[in-house]
Amino acid sequence: MKVSALQENLAKGLGVVGRAVPVRSTLPQASHVLIATDEGRLKLVATDLMIAITCWIGAQVEEEGEITVPARLVGDFVTSLPNERIDLSVAARGHQLHISCARNEATMAGMDAADFPPVPSVGDGLTLKLEPKTLRRAIGQVQFAAASDDTRPVLTGIHTLAEGRELTLAAADGFRLAVYKLALTQDVPERVEVIIPARALRELERLIADEEDPVEMAFNAARSQVLFRLKTAELVATLIQGTFPNYSQLIPQSYTTKATIDMRQFLQETRIAGIFARDGAGIVRVQMEPGEDSQPGKMTVSARAEEIGEHRGEMDVKMEGEPSKIAFNSRYLQDVLQVLDAEKVALETTTPSSPGVLRPVDGDDYVHVVMPMFVQW
Amino acid sequence: MARTILHADLDAFYASVEQLDRPELRGRPVVVGGPPEARGVVAAASYEARRFGIHSAMPMSRALRLCPQAVRVSPRFGRYGEVSRQVMSVFRAVTPLVEPLSLDEAFLDVTAQVRRYGGAEALARRLKRRVKERTGLTVSVGAGTNKTVAKIASDMQKPDGLVIVAPGAEEAFLAPLPARALWGVGPRAESVLAAAGLHTIGDIAGARPQQLEALFGARGLAVQEMARGRDDRAVETEHERKSVGAETTFPRDLADGPELREQLARLANEVAERLSQGGSRARTVVLKLRYADFHTITRQTTRPEPTDDAEEIESAAAGLLDAVVQPGDKFRLLGIHGAKLGEGQPDQLSLWSAAGEAGRTPAPRRD
Repeated sequence: MKVSALQENLAKGLGVVGRAVPVRSTLPQASHVLIATDEGRLKLVATDLMIAITCWIGAQVEEEGEITVPARLVGDFVTSLPNERIDLSVAARGHQLHISCARNEATMAGMDAADFPPVPSVGDGLTLKLEPKTLRRAIGQVQFAAASDDTRPVLTGIHTLAEGRELTLAAADGFRLAVYKLALTQDVPERVEVIIPARALRELERLIADEEDPVEMAFNAARSQVLFRLKTAELVATLIQGTFPNYSQLIPQSYTTKATIDMRQFLQETRIAGIFARDGAGIVRVQMEPGEDSQPGKMTVSARAEEIGEHRGEMDVKMEGEPSKIAFNSRYLQDVLQVLDAEKVALETTTPSSPGVLRPVDGDDYVHVVMPMFVQW
Repeated sequence: MARTILHADLDAFYASVEQLDRPELRGRPVVVGGPPEARGVVAAASYEARRFGIHSAMPMSRALRLCPQAVRVSPRFGRYGEVSRQVMSVFRAVTPLVEPLSLDEAFLDVTAQVRRYGGAEALARRLKRRVKERTGLTVSVGAGTNKTVAKIASDMQKPDGLVIVAPGAEEAFLAPLPARALWGVGPRAESVLAAAGLHTIGDIAGARPQQLEALFGARGLAVQEMARGRDDRAVETEHERKSVGAETTFPRDLADGPELREQLARLANEVAERLSQGGSRARTVVLKLRYADFHTITRQTTRPEPTDDAEEIESAAAGLLDAVVQPGDKFRLLGIHGAKLGEGQPDQLSLWSAAGEAGRTPAPRRD
């Protein structure tokens, strides 16, 4: 193999695929990155066997070839080089990668590319085209509600349902539920219902940060893998098998109190109360009262920590329905409020022990359900 | 508000598990128990075996004489426990308030869930279906406004039964049943009642309280309350400590008035103090009253949030007292108990408990 590329491009490419390199692995090849020539470009691949990221960078290929080298080593090294031309070469049948850039030269021991874990081929069976900005927004507003421990593995994933002209992403960890509905530009040829690991979508969210062209999402016939195809990168993930809870029944159909709140103010008050709530199991208490006559309603967010102190903050809100009080884990409130990009958010409640529902006021594409905490008022 | 209590009872549990695990036993008379030569007794008999007159607690030798073709299997309690845990987890997916009575039966308080499921019948049917799906076993369910009624109802249509007693219909439902169907009425009590001319539950309900008190003492009055379809015992989950309480017997009988109310406040304070000392809070406040004639009643109320606050406990107890006290009543004893204790730490409620079982139902698949 004999290739040259710009340091900037190679460093960026290694950074992209490096996200898939497992921190620890029993399989030495998995901590490697595959570097291969591919139709006049340089292909970089890394995988932890659950997800695989492939990235292509522009290069001048003089001689085809491929090799795997330790991802961390090559990544750290290339990042430290000056932004100049880098020459990569591997001797025929050799297992050493030779790198030279400006006045630096290095060799690193690699392994035969044939031993690198194969990236599952997904094919072009069923493909959806997604607008990257909306997709990022959807992932951002849903992924944090997925479970972080894997007592119920399906909950570590994002339930993904494509049907008709809509893609619905949903995550639930047992205490909260986030559902985002994305409109598609055309009908889905076939209904798809799968569970994508939340981690894969978090990586995708990062990958598509600067993407402008539509992202392709494809599933293999067995519905065991998903492929996201970007302009110069691909992410393949193994889907989680199992049955996701039927979450539509978890979304309350009615409310007795609805407060419409300025989003930034609500987040700010929740953060302040959260400071006091740290020592008190993270509880923030939310009280809503309608205003007298034509006055606006009032929302009080308060927290107290035994023997430390307490805090209460007030906001004007638009109130519908009865006065209400409900307590939440401050982290759960902050998690959702800081990813919403709406100007106003509505909080709907029924009783202190029934789920609270948060919806951005400017659209019906998102709903968030949070379970309250039992507290003494 | 009327409660909805279910009593769920697995049909011929041990025998059904054996028939489930060993398909060759299905449709055949099966008796579970030790061998006759070791003087074994029948722990359970399949419905096929019951047709021969075999019932549990019968000596195995007799059972096998009644039905020589019956298959005897030794009990495998480990396996029954495993299946029982699966069944109980199906119950707990519907409501956290599950009180197991044994491996194969439990009370469920589904008051909070019943509306969401579209009524007691729909909920009970769903429960039965889930148990069947999860374990392959059938369960008979009785539903009513209290434990007595639910328990009797579950036994009415075995196996795979479902009997729902509507609120208000309790007394009429119980009246024609034999006295021994009542909880606490065993063979001895039954013969005492029969000698007094009381054969049905309706007879007990209509008897003079003094007559029952003469026969059974204070327990007689409790039995009559049950016979009348009244039973306010709570469904208590296993891990709950029973209760924290305080009661006082007055030197002389007290009518309702400042002195009685003063005692009520004092007891509420004491209960609150004990609750906070133990780091727990009570969700249910129980008022106990013993009348001058020794007739004792308890009344309880369950709050949406647990409390250890003296004022809250007092106001709950006072509300209960207001509801029962009649002019002229005099009391010997007053007690307040906090029940359904929870840890002092406030609970983060779970999405699944809010949705009951719904949260675990498979999403519909059309592909």
